Amino acid sequence: MLALQILVNGLLLGGLYVLIAQSLNLIFGVMGVVNLAHGAFIVVAGLFTYWFASSTGINPLAALPFVFIVMALVGAGLQPLLVEPLMKMGRSKAELLSLMVTFGLDYVLVELALQVWGSSFVSVPYLQSSWKFAGLDFSQALVVSGVFAALVSALLYWWLNRTDSGKSLLAASQSETGAICCGIDVKRVRMLAFALGVALAAAAGVLVIIVEALAPQTADDLTLLAFVIIALGGLGSYVGVAVAALLLGVAQSVTGYFVGGNAEYVLPYVLLILVMVALPGRFRRA
Amino acid sequence: MIAAAVLLAVFVAIPLRSRGYLLQLGTDTLSAVTLAYGWNLIGGFAGYFSFGQVSFYGLGAYATALLVLRAHMPWYFAALVSGLVGAAAALLLGRIMLRLRGILFALGMLGLARILEVIFNNWHYAGASVGLSLPAVLTPVAVYVGMGLLALISFCITAYFVYSGFGLDVMSLNEDEDAALSVGVPTTRVKVIAFILSGALPAVAGGLTAWNHSYIDPTSAFDPGVDLLTVVYVMFGGIGTLWGPLIGAVVLMIVGEEFLVYFPNLELALYGIVVIATVLAFPGGLVGLANRFGWLMRPIILAPKGLPAGAPPERAPAHGTQPVLEVRDLTVRFGGLTAVDRVSLSVARGETVCIIGANGAGKTTFFNAITGVVQPTSGEILYFGQPISHLPTFRRAQRGMARSFQIPRLMPSFTVWENVLLASRHGRQSHRVVEHTAWVLHTMGFAGMWRDPVSRLTPGFQRQLEFARVLALSPELVMLDEVMAGMTREEQEQVRGVIRRLPEFGIAGVACVEHVIAAVADLCDRMVVLDFGRKIAEGPSAEVLKDPVVVRAYLGEPI
Repeated sequence: MLALQILVNGLLLGGLYVLIAQSLNLIFGVMGVVNLAHGAFIVVAGLFTYWFASSTGINPLAALPFVFIVMALVGAGLQPLLVEPLMKMGRSKAELLSLMVTFGLDYVLVELALQVWGSSFVSVPYLQSSWKFAGLDFSQALVVSGVFAALVSALLYWWLNRTDSGKSLLAASQSETGAICCGIDVKRVRMLAFALGVALAAAAGVLVIIVEALAPQTADDLTLLAFVIIALGGLGSYVGVAVAALLLGVAQSVTGYFVGGNAEYVLPYVLLILVMVALPGRFRRA
Repeated sequence: MIAAAVLLAVFVAIPLRSRGYLLQLGTDTLSAVTLAYGWNLIGGFAGYFSFGQVSFYGLGAYATALLVLRAHMPWYFAALVSGLVGAAAALLLGRIMLRLRGILFALGMLGLARILEVIFNNWHYAGASVGLSLPAVLTPVAVYVGMGLLALISFCITAYFVYSGFGLDVMSLNEDEDAALSVGVPTTRVKVIAFILSGALPAVAGGLTAWNHSYIDPTSAFDPGVDLLTVVYVMFGGIGTLWGPLIGAVVLMIVGEEFLVYFPNLELALYGIVVIATVLAFPGGLVGLANRFGWLMRPIILAPKGLPAGAPPERAPAHGTQPVLEVRDLTVRFGGLTAVDRVSLSVARGETVCIIGANGAGKTTFFNAITGVVQPTSGEILYFGQPISHLPTFRRAQRGMARSFQIPRLMPSFTVWENVLLASRHGRQSHRVVEHTAWVLHTMGFAGMWRDPVSRLTPGFQRQLEFARVLALSPELVMLDEVMAGMTREEQEQVRGVIRRLPEFGIAGVACVEHVIAAVADLCDRMVVLDFGRKIAEGPSAEVLKDPVVVRAYLGEPI
């Protein structure tokens, strides 16, 4: 029973990770850009939700649509300003320089968040109890956020594979030249991908703050977590990333129970390094 | 130079005389300069951006604290030993982390700093999360002098990178690592050495800082903010340059100190904006701006004043009577696709063999397997009778196996001289690099443009330069991958002339892949035809070109 409980908690956590990672993966897939400010967007959205819920007393999930739209606009505004100019420089150079730019952006956002919300960890007191079902405890907050996150990710997957705009995004991620030749406005697609990636990160932030406490300084941990997942799942692969996210959730829940909180925290990094050592070929992109 | 010396003297003298606040600022600035130089070695010259160099800074700080507290070592000695600790850590980590390129390396390093922070947070011997307090013995002047010496050493190491052939090897990684391998640069060794230096310097700086502050804890030792600041200094000053890190660190430290008084809590945000603005608006940093006026330019490495006449290589004694190259039943599979299927090929001494075949027939893969870029699934490759399948690409190049690429892969920001020099350094004339380089440049008609940057060459000359780079290795076997493609008639004639002269240059055998059959038919002794990975014909070109099998598979039948 205990084993099952740990598995369930892990899967629910993993559901949340799917969203955290998929949003980074979207931007990476289309632009080859790892957005190092990813975690900062999650944190800013999470802390905003905390502020919103605690000052108005309204259900924190109500903030989700608003946060999503505002952050999509922020992303759409930042992309042409910060990232698009680098796209002219060729893929490998753009990859590294965009890393620099988003590294800078990360600090700007985190410092601003520290100014506004301070450095203490906060969480939203919402859905504190748990549902009992078949002898298992389902933390309500984890269920709601895990399921919500998995739903949004599934929606994203459906959009990418079944709609014209989604397909043009996938096309641009596979071959920029090819996409241009098919009449796709690649510049617009890149902006869309970045905006959507940021908005999804923000949505993840709203869901994370329900489950665990956040502070601005946790931004980098979230970025790395997302990156580890997409590295494990296969860069740019959506199904692989979803599987990796669920597995990581379970692995963390297992180590957290049997070894302790510290081990749970470093597990993703250790996994990353282990995979680097054991399977260096995994990280090579053609 | 004199101006720089005077400026340096002023910078050293003022903090020493005033003590107190300025001395502390001086020490911090020198530490920043050291960190910036350290980062620049791996991030700037080798092009491996690291967001975790703070790991070495933290390791050095802890090593010093532990050596002082537990082994009762004097602090200066402990700081030096910490440098060795940093170097050893870099050696171990480098072999793992440097397998990764680009963003993966950068993020792997970021993750590493996190792992170290957690380890030190839980390691009771090192004080766990409380950290370690060192005896509060104030030696600010000595620390300042020590940090000054360290900064000077960092500067000297960087100067070595900018002026030496080794520096050229390191910079070639940033330009095109695969091409560097193909001209014999032992890339792994070169980057590990750069990484070791880039780990040792911050380790000593961390040690001195720990002593100076008499305190160290995991949060400050592995603070990612230190990495941000280091990156800001380097980018702002000028990445991959000799003066950039110094200028960037000094200017930003002083500006920061004057300016931050007004924005105490936004320091890192402002630096974040500086990084963004630098990358977008002036990617070369301050030194890049100065370069526009011709100031602070990087010197052309090992370039003499004028191009010397150079001398042809002495004939090396011949290697017995074995054929130059013998490939037996070579097979290369990619998953389910068999790109090369049991192909055998031999190139005898003095022979030119041409491989033809339709697109996708496996010609380039065959070449890649011979040069070691792709691992063959099975089969044997003998070079002068010796099996070479176990040798990495760069060793094959060093032994005299030179190749050109289908699309020229030169080092784009190097000069013509440096491109050829890089190959000469690792070829069979490496004992007389300058003379040999000069000879190659004369022979290939680059005497008038040897100092030009490659980006200014026409595509025809770029191809020719790649050919020059092949000769610079002073090879015995030359492998040309579609050198004639896209060339004008005149350019083809020029290249044909060079191919005809290859025996003069001591080249024992030539293998080429070609589509422009008319341009090679009379040059080659034998033709080999590949089709879907299999060899379908072999023989003198006149016969092969009439062979009905070849006509059907590749040339096409007359309508």
